[in-house]
Amino acid sequence: MRNLIIFLRRYFNFFLFLLLEVICIVLVFRNNDFQKTAYLNSANNVSARLYNRYNNVQYYFHLKATNDSLVNENARLHNILRTSYDSVTLDNLVKTDTIRTYSTDTTRKVVGIELRRYLYHAAKVVNNTVNAPINYITIHRGSANGLKPNMGVIGPSGIVGIVRSVSPNYAVVLSLLSKGRNFGFSARLSHSKEMGTVRWYGGDAGYALMEDVPKSVRLIKGDTVVTSGYSALFPENIPIGYVESYSLTDKGSTAYTIRIKLATNFYNLQYVYVVDNMLKDEQKSLEDSTYRLIK
Amino acid sequence: MSILLRNIIRFVLLLLLQVFVLNQVLLHQLVSLNLYMLFVLLLPFNLPRPALMLLALLMGLSMDMFMNTMGVHAAACVFIAYLRPFIINILSPQGGFETTQKTPSMTSMGVSQFLTFAAILVFLHNLVFFSLEVFGFGNFFYLLLKILCSTAASIFLIVLYELLFFSKK
Repeated sequence: MRNLIIFLRRYFNFFLFLLLEVICIVLVFRNNDFQKTAYLNSANNVSARLYNRYNNVQYYFHLKATNDSLVNENARLHNILRTSYDSVTLDNLVKTDTIRTYSTDTTRKVVGIELRRYLYHAAKVVNNTVNAPINYITIHRGSANGLKPNMGVIGPSGIVGIVRSVSPNYAVVLSLLSKGRNFGFSARLSHSKEMGTVRWYGGDAGYALMEDVPKSVRLIKGDTVVTSGYSALFPENIPIGYVESYSLTDKGSTAYTIRIKLATNFYNLQYVYVVDNMLKDEQKSLEDSTYRLIK
Repeated sequence: MSILLRNIIRFVLLLLLQVFVLNQVLLHQLVSLNLYMLFVLLLPFNLPRPALMLLALLMGLSMDMFMNTMGVHAAACVFIAYLRPFIINILSPQGGFETTQKTPSMTSMGVSQFLTFAAILVFLHNLVFFSLEVFGFGNFFYLLLKILCSTAASIFLIVLYELLFFSKK
């Protein structure tokens, strides 16, 4: 016993070193698990507030680019607004979260009522990185505004990422620019309607790879890659990127690897929209109960 | 100014400089500018080793809080804090360093000694840091190149820092 105590005292420094390193490594491993919520991250009071103050200054330098992207978005939205088409009247519409559609002939019968499925929350980006293997974006909207983990996040020109953890006024978004074996986005080529998965493999923040597209598909350079709508996180047809080049990994492989230029410019991201899918829980519980039946 | 006050100011200064200036600069994929570990390098010579490691842990966790990399900075900082006394022992002349100055610097250690000291520790820090960050040695040469480039950039910054704050002989 005495020898043990002498031994411990003699190598106290080394044991303290081992203990501290083990604590650090455990923290790393816990944090790398995408499913768990992180405890100490930039959504906490001190760092989020500092980031917010810093962004107030830095924001001015990006005003021009931000304005351009917002104007482009406005133009796009005006183009799909119902008032842009002359065959629809808006006289008898009730102010609820439904859209009634009318037949276009003179009888003007109600053809159907569409329920709201997606609700968009606008949020200001207060911190954003692009050069780490796993990048996070801190946004100034939190659980007080109805944000929850696992909501999709889109920007003015394309998808951005997924909400990972929330505090009352801030949320941390796992950016599309994140290397991870089980982190990918379900995507579709808008020309051939073929499905695939978009993943980021580090390196340049402007490009990602789309995989699992069969060899039989005819690919076109410049084709738009959009969200598939299968994942319940994002609505259909939100742009992800544009086909830049494509290749087969080797002669024998049956799937293309497509390099896509990302639609979102992650270098000057200032505003994002968090997508709340009202029917997500219903879809998820139905899918889960079916999986359980098969097991 | 007392040593304690000087170190507290240095802690805050380096943290803010790292988070709000250096991490916002995008030079290249291979180069990430890290200066915050200078806090660990410049702690006083006579600080006991447990205190050294705990202070390094505090610095690392503060960085992790800002960068959302729980534990990565802390592991690298504690690692170099543990190895620092060994390196100082190896580099010190027969009678130890001059006792007129209590902290490592270009004037107290000599320019070449200080640069060797900084280079070794910065390299070890980057080795642990980037290995943990990419998680596994998937692309070994890319990792090695990134460690070497970032180490060179950090040493450049450390020299600048030293020239700014320790110009008096």
